[in-house]
Amino acid sequence: MATAKPRTQGRDAERQQKSRKALPKVSTGIAGLDLVLGGGLPAGRVTLLTGGPGSGKSMIGLQCLLQGAANGRPGILVMFEERAEAVRQNASSRGWEMARLEKKNKLYLMDARLDPEAVISGEFSIKGLLAILDQRIKAMRAKLILIDAADALLHLYDSPMRERRELYALHEWLLDRGLTAIMTVKTVPQEEAPSRYAFLDFMADCVIHVDQRVTAQLTTRRLRVIKYRGSGYGRNEYPFIIDENGINIIPITSNVLLHRPPGPRVSSGPAWLDDLLDGGYKSGTSILIAGTAGAGKTTLACVFTRAACQRGERVLYLNFEESAESMVSNMLSPGLALQPLIKTGKLVVRSYLPEAMGVEEHLFHALKDLDEFQPQHVIVDAISACKRMGSEQAAFEYLMKVLNASKERGVTCIYINQTAGLDIVAEISGIGISSIIDTIILLRHLPIGAAVARQLIVMKSRGSKHSEQFHEFRITDRGIDLVKT
Amino acid sequence: MKKARKRERRRHTKSVRETYVFRLFVAGNESNSSLARRNLARICEEHLKGDHKIDVVDVLRDAAAAHKNNVLVTPTLILLKPLPKVTVLGNLNDTRQVLAALRLTGDER
Repeated sequence: MATAKPRTQGRDAERQQKSRKALPKVSTGIAGLDLVLGGGLPAGRVTLLTGGPGSGKSMIGLQCLLQGAANGRPGILVMFEERAEAVRQNASSRGWEMARLEKKNKLYLMDARLDPEAVISGEFSIKGLLAILDQRIKAMRAKLILIDAADALLHLYDSPMRERRELYALHEWLLDRGLTAIMTVKTVPQEEAPSRYAFLDFMADCVIHVDQRVTAQLTTRRLRVIKYRGSGYGRNEYPFIIDENGINIIPITSNVLLHRPPGPRVSSGPAWLDDLLDGGYKSGTSILIAGTAGAGKTTLACVFTRAACQRGERVLYLNFEESAESMVSNMLSPGLALQPLIKTGKLVVRSYLPEAMGVEEHLFHALKDLDEFQPQHVIVDAISACKRMGSEQAAFEYLMKVLNASKERGVTCIYINQTAGLDIVAEISGIGISSIIDTIILLRHLPIGAAVARQLIVMKSRGSKHSEQFHEFRITDRGIDLVKT
Repeated sequence: MKKARKRERRRHTKSVRETYVFRLFVAGNESNSSLARRNLARICEEHLKGDHKIDVVDVLRDAAAAHKNNVLVTPTLILLKPLPKVTVLGNLNDTRQVLAALRLTGDER
């Protein structure tokens, strides 16, 4: 595939460079978020993090704070709602070393919940809290502060005017101390910034909104930067997931193609198929194996898998149709022993239920495996099942991203697509990705007399002199054989 | 509030009064803090007839004390004695409410 000229990217980068000079930034410690924010949070300024209950805003804030504390930027967490003990427990369940940071005076947890028994009579201000914080800031030379659930503080005041006055005072106080601050504010779901806190937006230099929504019964989390004074930023909605390590942001809409050129040819398994393909598959390219149910698509992919593993290459098999165990046992019938390949670590089979999670999470797992296992080849069985990740759009997103990620890494990408009808040619397009696929192999059943014949044709193979005829083949207990005519 | 008031009335019918011990947390001379000082002094004068002790703590000078007592807002009035402890936030402008909170309404009856 030709590399597109990243023109817009260049302009963006230039703009960002300029702004970087003007505005010092602090890394959030979350790689994907830093990318979206063009480097990080505005240093010495207030960032507002809004979102509904359970949207993940406190988690993002906490991760920024802990990452900062671990990297020479001591931080204070002010909690208006949660108990310090609960926060500690949540963090330790993720393996975040809060206690160690606290002991080293890099992190301080300030429980700022008011005594619910206290009687309120007349006006007051949060000077007491600020005085305590001032003392801590000096003692630990704090650079970061996370004010969690700032909305709870506002509920104390009986008039919007006083709320506003207190917040302005707090804002001034934060700026005076030169703290890089994150304030989380709860919003009603489906609402970005409730009118009640509209002035908060106005005050903050950076506003990030996170939400959690359910589409087609799948939950997805998304993050959007609403504004960032004096800086460029990613303007899309970015999906993110929360796993055992914390926040992972996947910038799905990467706009540059950094594909590597195709590598050397590798055998597809059977020698006769290599002949039809003008010498095998080109490594690092994309291949689509399409056909009706039972036509031998998985067998063809597994023949390739075995050949690759025997050459010492690593194969990642993403199975959305059946469990690893059942695939291993089913492949024994055509004489393909996969278990030894798994044992030697050459083959990794991941079996996922498409509807079990959203497309972001599926993607995250795939990318993680690509980076950690570093396979030479990845097989997705079958892309037709990916629609169950939510929608055709979701499946397309997933497949495109996996394909791009594979091409960027020089990994061969084999997609299997199950077609339903007999008019296979119209159907193989496979969720609209066929135009970016390098090689298409089509399998079909044909009734011949009383029996059924299996046929294979190479529909397309970029840059190759491939055969243009249907060839009959047979699945035996030794793999796939060509039937010579 | 109403419940608390009733409860306190019952408890404080005819017992001999202990000395009232207050701690008032203020933030320098900001208006609400000064107002709270004046309000507290007046209430004590009128309702305790000098049988009281007020310890004023300036959080701007003694943040550690604020921290120790979990004082987040100023002014904060804490009634230390007689027990149970009572916390009143704000400039104490609402005298009736303050008296009720401090269990001083029963005496007027």
